[in-house]
Amino acid sequence: MASPTDGFTAQPIPAQAGIGLRSEHYREVIATRPAVGFFEIHSENFFGLGGAPHQYLENIRADYPLSFHGVGMSLGSVDPLSEQHSQRLKQLVDYYQPDLISEHLSWSSFNGQYFNDLLPVPYTPEALTHIVDRVQQIQDTLQRQILVENVSSYLQYTHSTIPEWEFVSQVAQQSGCGILLDVNNIYVNATNHDFDPRAFLGGVSAQLVKEIHLAGHSVNEFEDGSILIDTHDQLVCDEVWSLYRDAVRRLGPKPTLIEWDTNLPELAVLLDEANTAQTILEASHARVA
Amino acid sequence: MPGLRELQRAFSSSLRSEDASQTAAWVSANGLNGDRRIQIYRNNLVVTLTDALRSVYPVVERLVGDGFFRFAAHEFIHQYPSRHGNLHLFGHEFARFLSEFAAAKGHAYLPDVARLEWAQHEVYHAADHAPLEPQSLTVIGPDRYESLCFALHPARRLLHSSYPIMRIWEVNQAGFEGNQAVDLSAPGDRVLVLRIDREVKIHTLAPAEYQFLVTISNGKPLGQAVAAALEQDRDFDLTRCLVKHVQSSTLVDFSLA
Repeated sequence: MASPTDGFTAQPIPAQAGIGLRSEHYREVIATRPAVGFFEIHSENFFGLGGAPHQYLENIRADYPLSFHGVGMSLGSVDPLSEQHSQRLKQLVDYYQPDLISEHLSWSSFNGQYFNDLLPVPYTPEALTHIVDRVQQIQDTLQRQILVENVSSYLQYTHSTIPEWEFVSQVAQQSGCGILLDVNNIYVNATNHDFDPRAFLGGVSAQLVKEIHLAGHSVNEFEDGSILIDTHDQLVCDEVWSLYRDAVRRLGPKPTLIEWDTNLPELAVLLDEANTAQTILEASHARVA
Repeated sequence: MPGLRELQRAFSSSLRSEDASQTAAWVSANGLNGDRRIQIYRNNLVVTLTDALRSVYPVVERLVGDGFFRFAAHEFIHQYPSRHGNLHLFGHEFARFLSEFAAAKGHAYLPDVARLEWAQHEVYHAADHAPLEPQSLTVIGPDRYESLCFALHPARRLLHSSYPIMRIWEVNQAGFEGNQAVDLSAPGDRVLVLRIDREVKIHTLAPAEYQFLVTISNGKPLGQAVAAALEQDRDFDLTRCLVKHVQSSTLVDFSLA
């Protein structure tokens, strides 16, 4: 990675479908330049200072707008934010000029130990105030708006007092950040916690949603019941596509990302999924026009 | 009702131990009970960190097999917890852990294989650096050569093992065909892990050449590096060694002591 002064100029992400960029696909993406609206990376995969990851990303960034998606900021933790983590993210943002920067509405560390997972926060006024403050700290450091993503969860706290969609909306309204609406996570939580996923869609403002995520999930069966797990290891299911159509109808066309992390298939499979999303977006553009 | 700090303290302790009772008491038992729900997060933690180790240490995994690797990873995760949101920084103590791990005592070469794989991981992600222009050295008068301090490229690591780790590494690569037998009593290897273009490579070094580069990487001036190399080999060829490592961008900068 060269010095920030040689960085890229801002390039907006259109309301089109994009895919998550994974190292297994770098070469094919560079060789074939697929027709997608944008690529999204996991910011931490580029925290290294040089070498292959940056050479590939610079090449791809020259032709596509980027979105940076963080998995390690530990937004909801009571630990202080990691200065090292925020500063490295800032260097990358300054250099690559991603159009969107997102983090998860969850916590992943306590007392210096990281669990590298997206652990659920309780939806309480205390957690809301804490997270609003943290989002503002990150936005002050980056000098950019960030988006916060609703996560999948496998439990609910008995002391949560705010519906999840209202909590996410309040974080955005109070901190000035945007929302990255993960439609698969809405479906997973609605199933796991018995609520109507359309109530979630109805509870967020179209102006605050700047991006949508789509992914596949798995079902874990236990003798006392089953639960959906957000595994990002398969195709988007029919129910999530249907929820996505409703989301686009309600919120308007938004940049939409196909996420796939485990058992990564060939690039063509991701592009097919992106195509399906693109068709839904275009139908919506046509309605708007 | 727990505050955020109290909740996170109890939840993290539930992830580290088998006792989730305190956290489970704050979780709705809607269908699955609280213990089961926390068990999902405990499993996620082990799977995520084991996969992170697997991606850095494929040869160690191949040498010990999947079952033993998962057992070792499980122990390691609890003894050396992750300290960063960036997973690429997780696992650097794995070699040290393996050298102390009673169950791995029969495989004395394992820690060195782990060191080699961590070095490759670091080299893959390390910073880029422009090569040294050989002409830039012409401004240094011969009387000052002794006090020249060279700098190694950030994407270079030096390792010395008393085991033939190069051979162990080679026969455990996917697609290796041929005799997989390794003579563990064969001489140990001195290696330079480096990046050429985008690829991480391992080059074996002669003892004197290794000593020369190690001394330089410790910030010592050329005079001391040459003396150290000559102790290994009276016929150490300084010019050839310098040309080779400047041309291959291992030596990328210099200053005067």
